[in-house]
Amino acid sequence: MLEPKQMTRAVIVGHKDILEETVDALHKASLFQIEDYIEDDSGLKIGRPFENISEISKKLIKIRSIGSLLGVKEVAARRQDASTILSELDTKLNELDSEVSVLAEKKDTLEAELKETESLRKELLPFINIDLDLDLYRGYESLAVFAGHVQENVEPAISKITSSYELFYDPKASVVVLFVAKEKSEEVSSALANVQFKELRVPDVSGVPSGILADIEKKEADIVARIRSTDADIESLNLKYADFILASNELLSIETEKSEAPLRIATTESTFVIDGWMPTVRYSELEQVVSSATNGRAFVSGQEMTKDDEDRVPIEYDNPKASAPFQEIMDLYARPKYKEIDPTTLIFISFPLFYGMILGDIGYALILLTLAFGIKKFVSSDAIKPLMNILIYCQISTLIFGILYGEILGFPLAGYHGEPGLIAGFETIDLFASPIGGEMFTYPIHRTHLVMTLIVLTALIGVIHINIGYVLGFINENRKHGFTAALLEKGSWIVVELGILLAVLGYVGMLPVAVGVIVFLIGFIMLVKGEGIKGPIELPALLSNSLSYTRIIAVGLSSIYIASTVNLIAFEMIWEPGTAIGGMTIFAIVVFLFGHALNTVLSIIAPGLHALRLQYVEFFGKFYEGGGRKYDPFGYIRKYTEEK
Amino acid sequence: MAEPVTSTITMMDPAGLQAIGAGLAVGLTGLASGIAEKDIGSAAIGAMAENESLFGKGLILTVIPETIVIFGLVVALLIS
Repeated sequence: MLEPKQMTRAVIVGHKDILEETVDALHKASLFQIEDYIEDDSGLKIGRPFENISEISKKLIKIRSIGSLLGVKEVAARRQDASTILSELDTKLNELDSEVSVLAEKKDTLEAELKETESLRKELLPFINIDLDLDLYRGYESLAVFAGHVQENVEPAISKITSSYELFYDPKASVVVLFVAKEKSEEVSSALANVQFKELRVPDVSGVPSGILADIEKKEADIVARIRSTDADIESLNLKYADFILASNELLSIETEKSEAPLRIATTESTFVIDGWMPTVRYSELEQVVSSATNGRAFVSGQEMTKDDEDRVPIEYDNPKASAPFQEIMDLYARPKYKEIDPTTLIFISFPLFYGMILGDIGYALILLTLAFGIKKFVSSDAIKPLMNILIYCQISTLIFGILYGEILGFPLAGYHGEPGLIAGFETIDLFASPIGGEMFTYPIHRTHLVMTLIVLTALIGVIHINIGYVLGFINENRKHGFTAALLEKGSWIVVELGILLAVLGYVGMLPVAVGVIVFLIGFIMLVKGEGIKGPIELPALLSNSLSYTRIIAVGLSSIYIASTVNLIAFEMIWEPGTAIGGMTIFAIVVFLFGHALNTVLSIIAPGLHALRLQYVEFFGKFYEGGGRKYDPFGYIRKYTEEK
Repeated sequence: MAEPVTSTITMMDPAGLQAIGAGLAVGLTGLASGIAEKDIGSAAIGAMAENESLFGKGLILTVIPETIVIFGLVVALLIS
């Protein structure tokens, strides 16, 4: 539970004749993680992929390109029989390929046409208000034609140069079209340059611009309609073949994995050696799988684990089902190493505990609980499920603390100090006086009235949590570097803390201060020996780390204040219950809903991040290293096919 | 005859000063956290763009200065 699964390194050796059967059996069993062979001077060579690889990868590429053309999405689908898919793969693939390529080609042509008309339209637009056949713009021997943008009407300047000209000016688009005799063209162009003339290309079509534009629009509409119908054809093809594409993609991917497996395996001329890892408990299963696939011709042998191996072992968690979702939180940080304590189960307790202590509100707990169950039910994603399970655990804890705190959506359930609670007649009961700040422990606990006590209490929780971390660190260090190192590196912290505690007791007069100081100094020297100069530098972190746990109350209070402010704005400032119901009532309810919706979102983020941080920074910092490799056995998790 | 000397003592409301102090404690530490986190956060995002598995480490490093504002919040609670 507190450790990753025991792993065994095994080697499978056999004749190359049975390599394919062995790989097949291993892939099917999905329990053996092949360790890639890297060629060295031992004389062993990397194997050659199976013969069918080129054909399979060709098909795989084809099916994937068809899939992306059709826009096939990975959705949950009915599982199909692998052998039927395989038997009709070739014919169906060819059929599909020809259909898809026809459609794709059609769509490409249409899109090219659409682009053409669009660029023609762009060229045409400046001339739209000049009612002149485009054929008249060209083909003159003695006339020069200027067509382009100008900044102002150029007519007065031109009329000074020559009287024989024809000029069309569109003031809206500031486009000018000018016909003059060729011999005047030089003077005219310098006059045009004065008004920043920019030449426009005259579209290479004939007809009046407005007429052409109408034609273009008609044509465009037609093309768009045809593109749509092609899209619909593609969509119907998608609907028809999506299942087949997903299933055959899966089958071909599996085949490719198998065919490429020899690239990870060491071989000689006639034998192969597969090296890899599996959980120790499944070793006999591996032996059985291999021997039944090869009639006992392949030989499996377990290996002794060396010191080097410990850094390379793939890590498989070994946690009860209940705490398994918290492996996600571990993976977010880093997987444990092989000889390290796996703290998943501890997080399973402390993370929801801190989360609940921070949020502690019946209302938010119920809202988020419903939300989590809803998402879990309607979203069938494997990535979402563990997160929702974590959220559910957190909300259960929030609910318990909510009942303890007597809070629902920022309203207190019980009356206190003359302030009425939500439940009429439910009054807060005084339990006992807190030793700090003259405050009173009550049921329900009013966090706003018990701030000082809770600050001290949460810091104490921090001290306990941190010390659990040191104890775990001691165990880890003991395993890795022996007892002395563990005592000096981790034990020293506990001695230092003990020294501080004794000194405090001395300060209040229960025993001589010197005892505390001596114990502290012993711890300090151990620390310097264990951690070097880094130790004393980190000493103040002891204080800041435990004070960091006061965030449990601080963030909690900020959440209460946001909630009660929303309530105040809605039900006191905008509309007061008991007064006349009207438009303001609706407004108050809207404000109430929006405010609490916002705070609900914050209620996932703020307590979640802070509870997480307390694990990652304050807790893990004391013992956890991580950096293990994920156990990823050679095999495939089928989603769309099954073998009968 | 000289005028009788009268004086009025103006005093700031202690509760108001407390509130200002609490506000300063949260506000200034909030700014400090923000300044510290902005560099770490952008670096963390950069690292994550290269390698998504760094999310956990990036998050931790980013929230480390958060403690500053938490201390500010605690001090504000103690004052008020």
